[in-house]
Amino acid sequence: MKRSRGMGLYCAGLYAFLYLPLGVMTAFSFNDAHRNVVWRGFTFKWYRVLFADAELMRSMLTSLELAAAAAAIAAVLGLLASYALTRHKAFAGRRAYSALLDAPLMMPEVALGVGLLSFLVRAGYELDFGALACAHALICLPYTVGSVRARLKSMGEEHLEEAAMDLGATEWTAFVKVTLPLAMPAVVSGCLLAFTVSFEDFVTSFFLAGIGIVTMPIKVYSMMKFGVTPEINALSVLLLAATALLLALNAVFASGPDEASRA
Amino acid sequence: MGKALSWLLGGRRPLASHLLLAPAAGWLIVFLLVPAAGLALLSLAKNGAYGQVIWTFGLHNYRRAFDAKYLPVLLRTFAFAGGTTALCLLLGYPLAYYLSFRAGRWRNALLIGLMVPFWTSALVAFYSWMIILGKEGLLNAALLRFGFISAPIGILYTPFSVLLGLVYFYLPFTVLPLYASLEKVPRSVVEAAYDLGAGRWTAFLKVTLPLSLPGVMAGGLLTFVPCLGDFLTAELLGGPRFYLLGNLISNQFLMAQDWPFGAALTCLLLIGLIGGLWVYRRWEAEDA
Repeated sequence: MKRSRGMGLYCAGLYAFLYLPLGVMTAFSFNDAHRNVVWRGFTFKWYRVLFADAELMRSMLTSLELAAAAAAIAAVLGLLASYALTRHKAFAGRRAYSALLDAPLMMPEVALGVGLLSFLVRAGYELDFGALACAHALICLPYTVGSVRARLKSMGEEHLEEAAMDLGATEWTAFVKVTLPLAMPAVVSGCLLAFTVSFEDFVTSFFLAGIGIVTMPIKVYSMMKFGVTPEINALSVLLLAATALLLALNAVFASGPDEASRA
Repeated sequence: MGKALSWLLGGRRPLASHLLLAPAAGWLIVFLLVPAAGLALLSLAKNGAYGQVIWTFGLHNYRRAFDAKYLPVLLRTFAFAGGTTALCLLLGYPLAYYLSFRAGRWRNALLIGLMVPFWTSALVAFYSWMIILGKEGLLNAALLRFGFISAPIGILYTPFSVLLGLVYFYLPFTVLPLYASLEKVPRSVVEAAYDLGAGRWTAFLKVTLPLSLPGVMAGGLLTFVPCLGDFLTAELLGGPRFYLLGNLISNQFLMAQDWPFGAALTCLLLIGLIGGLWVYRRWEAEDA
């Protein structure tokens, strides 16, 4: 169909636009030139520079720890909240809880950052790793809730916990032996999204990272302000690969349980 | 122990539900609602000569936000959020339509293809745009090479580069809700329009487009609201002279040390955001 082909071309153009920066940084991460725009031949040099950069590696570790802490907190809070929202019979305030749990998605990160900054400083709290982890857990929470809640809801239609309880299990046993194992892929999937959100977060960390804490995006930002260096291209490519891997893992976990329950 | 946990999980009493929700809700109250309330209070205070906060209350910070120096920033932010939303909807609708109606067996691959830029860190993407748009960047090199220009032109650090960055970053935010709502358009209704003699355009304008309006509104909201508070785009692609509300707020807190004024600007941002949500909910309620 001719009309369809025109649209297909248009969409291809749009995808080219979306992928242009990703392609450019990948190409230039292998470029043997300090100035970015001229192609001087293929090299792995910038990847070696990257791994030799101790400060950058330390910031990477900080970001990993931060993302792990934030995702863990968000997973526990999200699981408890999702369970009450999907399994408990209707109670006053349920809609208010729902709206509250989605609030961090709509809150501009600048507002969140300056709000927490002024709150913590005025309360006399030193900005530290703990404060940053709490803030990251907050922005991660809607992702774990979203994932776990959807899974618990679709599981609810199969009445598996009720079957377990009819067979004599207590609520607690049913939760440990039925709910938790079946919901686990969604918990993992929510954690992966939360981890990605925290790991990539720049704005919240920018306002809350006191003097001592340098997350990887903050380090990259200061390198960018300092000037163009192909090292950032190499790092970007690795991050891009990590993101794609996390998304692929997430897709596996998000689609896993249905096949598992059918088997 | 097991009994208490079973009681908690059973949820036959509202108290059990509230207890299970308490950790998450408490987290949101302590780290989101209380700081927001604190900002509202701070916005009414006065800034001292040495950046200390003087607790005499008044609306002076809000009046200042609307004076000739700062009003243009507010208007510019509003215009850029509106322009980005319009552009994303116009550019994204055909893509969402193609994904839903035409992509066939390519659909899943194309959807995954949309997720990668969606989840790519903005910092990384904008760094690459800086390389493309800079004075010695790829775009200038290409334009010079093909003789469109005789000397490098300033593309980066202009309003154009900020708009480009915003459209680039928010396009997937617009397309995904559009796609979701186009998927819900019953194919049989579109077929029926064809059977009754409607041409492609008529069927689209009279059937598909109206039925996909919820997606247009949701996609618009999900683009407009975050755009109002966007910080990173203008920070990286706007340079020192072109900035938006988010950057002005950040400056008050980190550079100018005028926290009460910064708080007032943040409250204005939140009011704009709540206004946007309110319009959306009203529309949703009327539509239902």
